[in-house]
Amino acid sequence: MAVSPHDGRGRVAQDDAGAHLPAQGDVVEPLACGRDAATVWDHAEAGTLDAHERECPHCGAAVADARGLEAMVSRLAAQPLVPPPTVVDRVVGAVLAELRPRDLLVLDSPYGPAALDATAAAAVLRGVVDAMDGMRARSCRISRPAGDAGRPVPPAEVSMTVTARFGIELASATARVRQMVLAAGEQALGVPVTRVDIEVVDVFDLPQPSSPAGREGR
Amino acid sequence: MTDPDTGPDAGSVGVVTEGRMDGHERRDPGGTVAALRDAGDVRTPVPSAGPAPVPREAVEQPRPAVGARLADLDEHTLVVRAQEGDVRAFEALARRHQTALYRLAVRVLGNRSDAEDALQDSLLDAWRRIGSFRGDASFSTWTYRIVANRCTGMLRRTRPPVPVADPGAAGGDDAAGLVGRSRPRSPERQAELDAGMAALGDALAALPHDQRVCFVLRELEGLGYTEIAQITGTGEATVRGRIHRARKTLAEVMRPWR
Repeated sequence: MAVSPHDGRGRVAQDDAGAHLPAQGDVVEPLACGRDAATVWDHAEAGTLDAHERECPHCGAAVADARGLEAMVSRLAAQPLVPPPTVVDRVVGAVLAELRPRDLLVLDSPYGPAALDATAAAAVLRGVVDAMDGMRARSCRISRPAGDAGRPVPPAEVSMTVTARFGIELASATARVRQMVLAAGEQALGVPVTRVDIEVVDVFDLPQPSSPAGREGR
Repeated sequence: MTDPDTGPDAGSVGVVTEGRMDGHERRDPGGTVAALRDAGDVRTPVPSAGPAPVPREAVEQPRPAVGARLADLDEHTLVVRAQEGDVRAFEALARRHQTALYRLAVRVLGNRSDAEDALQDSLLDAWRRIGSFRGDASFSTWTYRIVANRCTGMLRRTRPPVPVADPGAAGGDDAAGLVGRSRPRSPERQAELDAGMAALGDALAALPHDQRVCFVLRELEGLGYTEIAQITGTGEATVRGRIHRARKTLAEVMRPWR
């Protein structure tokens, strides 16, 4: 591309390894002094003009334009624009209305066929983990193979990823997660669970809203 | 309750948890949440078939805790949950990002009601496509891109592009909405500033779409060239060029207000 990388300040119109060459009209013309006009403008906005840019009349004109526009643009940017809360409400309403069951978990029901949406079941199990101190559920997948007709349905298996607060004792925490998930499967879902795979995929260090770190010692 | 018909027709059960996860009734379009929560009782008799030796609070506690913490969850966690079909996680993401997305839409479209439509449609689109979000860019970049695309699509459909050389022709009332003239005023200087802001709004509205999107993302949203390139699906050099042309045009128009 014909855009010459001038001596000025680094990030001159690089050609993006040829992936996206700018159309002719989108090329930044260099200033008469050779500096890249967009870079000078960026420096003016960021307050990082170098010696040349402060002295040069060509750069000076660009800087004056930048400063003049910036005053108004920053006023515009400062104006609060908040969407009415009804937008997300409507979106969630529409999403809920178009929800269709995906995977179904067979429930043990003496009264007739019953099934539970696996997404809903997973959300319940995540909620159980979220309620535990220092643990958060991320992925949660629960599956239950369909049994052969006339035979008891095999129990479900759960596979979860969790994040844990930094410093928490992971072995006992995951053991508790497993115990709680088994219990919730039985109690809240009515789905016996035999296997709970737990993978701790991240740690977080939650700043306590009311008190800074250090309260953990109790 | 023991009627087989109450056996979850999975459609309703799928939403049961939505009511449950919600933990509190923030909204209830047409009472559906209440109805679904009732449907949720289907779940209750099921475990009664067997003994329940495990502490009850294990399953009772989540309500307040989850409600309180969903908004605190890290973005990656919310995205994964949403990808697995958790509507409330998606809602938390939507609430987290809606203001920035709305700002972009208002600045690009020039009025609030179109921007609301664009935001709403974009969020629905994001929900439907969230499975395809791979995390190559941030979730914020991904959603900005959806909104930017929708806005340019709307502009193409509804308005012929306004020539740059004719900035006064565009905007009008729209530009007034864009710059929010309803704020309390003080005398002359304020009037002058207002006029300047209105002029800026008009000039912004008169920019070519692609320049306006890039300019708004850079100067009003404060994003870097790389991210803007990802959002607009173009190269960084092109983004720099568009922003620079927009700056020059606007600076020219705004010279009298300096």
